[in-house]
Amino acid sequence: MQQTSKYHATETDLVNEQAIVEAAKKNPERFGPLYEKYYERIFRFIYQRIDDKEKAFDAAQQTFMKAINNLHKYEFRGVPFASWLYRIASSEVNNLFRQEKAQRTVNIDSVSVYNIIEEIQETKIDEYHDKIVGIIAELPEDELQLIEMRFFEKRAFKEIAEILEITESNAKIKTYRILEKLKKTIK
Amino acid sequence: MKRKININRPNVSADEINKHKNFDSVLKNSAAAGSKPLFKKPWFLSAVVAAVAVIVVTGLVLTNENEQSPVVVNPVAGESDSILLAAFYKNEESKPCIAPPIEGLNVPYVTYRVNAEKGGKFDFKTGSKFTIPQNAFVDENGKPLKGEIELRYREFHDAADFFVSGIPMTYDSAGVKYQFESAGMMEMLAYKDGNQVQMAPDKTIRVELASAYEGTEYNLYKLDTLKNNWSCLGKDKVENENKNGKNQSLYNDAPTIAKVQDAPEYKAIEQKIGQVETVKENKIAALPKPAEAPKKPLKASKDKYTFNLELDLTEFPEFAVYKNVKWELGAENKNVNNAMWTELNKTLWEDVTLKEGKKGENYLLSLKKGKKQVNDLVVYPVFEGKNYELAMNDFQQKFDKYTEALDKRKIEEKKIQEKYEADLAIAKKQQADFEEKWKRERNNELASLNTEQKVMRVFQVSSFGVYNCDNPSVFPKGVVCNAVLTNEQEVKLMCYEVYLVDKTKNGLFTYNRNPITRLSFDPKASNILWTVENGILYYIKQDDFALIRSGYQTIKMNKVDQKFKTVEEMKTFFSI
Repeated sequence: MQQTSKYHATETDLVNEQAIVEAAKKNPERFGPLYEKYYERIFRFIYQRIDDKEKAFDAAQQTFMKAINNLHKYEFRGVPFASWLYRIASSEVNNLFRQEKAQRTVNIDSVSVYNIIEEIQETKIDEYHDKIVGIIAELPEDELQLIEMRFFEKRAFKEIAEILEITESNAKIKTYRILEKLKKTIK
Repeated sequence: MKRKININRPNVSADEINKHKNFDSVLKNSAAAGSKPLFKKPWFLSAVVAAVAVIVVTGLVLTNENEQSPVVVNPVAGESDSILLAAFYKNEESKPCIAPPIEGLNVPYVTYRVNAEKGGKFDFKTGSKFTIPQNAFVDENGKPLKGEIELRYREFHDAADFFVSGIPMTYDSAGVKYQFESAGMMEMLAYKDGNQVQMAPDKTIRVELASAYEGTEYNLYKLDTLKNNWSCLGKDKVENENKNGKNQSLYNDAPTIAKVQDAPEYKAIEQKIGQVETVKENKIAALPKPAEAPKKPLKASKDKYTFNLELDLTEFPEFAVYKNVKWELGAENKNVNNAMWTELNKTLWEDVTLKEGKKGENYLLSLKKGKKQVNDLVVYPVFEGKNYELAMNDFQQKFDKYTEALDKRKIEEKKIQEKYEADLAIAKKQQADFEEKWKRERNNELASLNTEQKVMRVFQVSSFGVYNCDNPSVFPKGVVCNAVLTNEQEVKLMCYEVYLVDKTKNGLFTYNRNPITRLSFDPKASNILWTVENGILYYIKQDDFALIRSGYQTIKMNKVDQKFKTVEEMKTFFSI
């Protein structure tokens, strides 16, 4: 499956980004380029998981506010700064759920469902579409997150691994196990 | 926790997201909240204890909810977006039966004037003919109409015509939907004093529709705009009289624009040429006017009548540098001869006045004594000896200045002329190109009529409206995919109808809604895909189709940046 994520960064990108982070640690106003670069992605990440657009915008602002306040704790580990932001955003979303300010929402596009069906090598496209949606809706949260990131947000395994702080091969294995489970359940 | 499932929720555009960006607010709030590290705040410990308690309790509650609550599947989208989408679809589905998708772009009607009592035979530019019988028109109450009737007629022969007209090309036959492949379609409407009129019940109009399709598999359909469907009227008749391209009316008929000079584009260029001329004239007129050329000083001659004058040099400073300037009686004065000269000289004039005559050239001398007077004798200053040298020097200086100014002006005029010629050349080139294009289009039109319009599809119509010689067909076969159409920024297009043009079939295959659940096309055919979002046409051409595989595809559509003024422009753009 072709991935369209904008996440990947070259060595130079990472170094340049880290330089901005270090500058922003000293002066929060220098955080601006990172805000510009990641605002849309963070918003989309949040809005993928909730159904209230305004709350998603608020949560995106909160994410960046917390990122600035906690920037002194951030350590560069050779991965894009975005993975740290995604973890803060994920925490923000969970806060909304805990406070019952938002409902956990799974936004599925039909094309992605067909991609899943293609991935599990099934041919009964229309027959399985609704079944797959029903099964995905009932997956445990950790499994849902993997499917969500891989198929609905079209993230590469490398990126998924960095956001979830697991290894890339672990992300792949877990995802394929879930797909196997889907394949068995669907029949 | 109870989950909500949204299928195909519309994307939020990047523009909308960007509108919510506010880095200043983030900075301000982070400064307020983060003034002191959290763990140093006095309430930190108690807050941690409380938070842990909340997390434990919430976790328990959430676990229970996960186990007990059924999943809600919302088949459309998020609440507000799904309402928006539903409203959009409702609006699209409630549009009139004939709904041109692009404002201002349509197949134009050709208007004929018909005498209701006499009827008549009429030719259309494609070679089609129709015959109106006598007394064929009635008003809304069925009353026969007399006098002049305005007949509006147009034809549709290819996918572009079908598309811009907004005439549906799908046919629902007992619940089974077909796509029309057309051998030609026409619309005929009639008006009296601006009001639409009907055809008399006992009358029919014979239509000979020029067509490139000679097959007999086509039926005749009339569009029922109330039912939004086509009614099958049976078979039309195919006449091969034009098979060899002998129908001279194809050549005799005037095209839409009879002369290239009548084309608005041509007129605009002509106007531009006129403007170029005017600009040149205005620029030349604005140049500083050159002074008159200085006159060469005259040398005193013994053969001419010369005399001395005592001048007031304050009145004639031009003579201040000279001593004893002489004056010569101009030959243009009447009766210049010895007698006159003698008469002038024998009088001791009491009042002598001199004024400038032709500037820089001569003066007018008036003489008076008592009642005797001579007015406005033309006299010339003449120089001799040193005075002549001085005068020549002065003349040479003035002449040099004059020639310098003249050269300067000539340079400026040359520049203006060059600019004019360049602008004119551009406009003339545009004019020539347009003429060439017009001729080419005209030739293509004639060639197309000659080679393609092979047959006449003949039928009778008993009411006005849209008639179509069609063959119900199915979508082309080959590649089948599920396609989401996006714009160039990969934002899903908010569009309803999506049109597939397969140039091997003369139809317009219409899909509804985005994503298209089953887009089917022949990869070997020359295909185009069109859709319209907010009046803007998006497309992909054959090369893009080569990249589409079976399965689930995101198709990035190209936006048409230009505004087509005519269907012909659109056909040229898409090589139809």
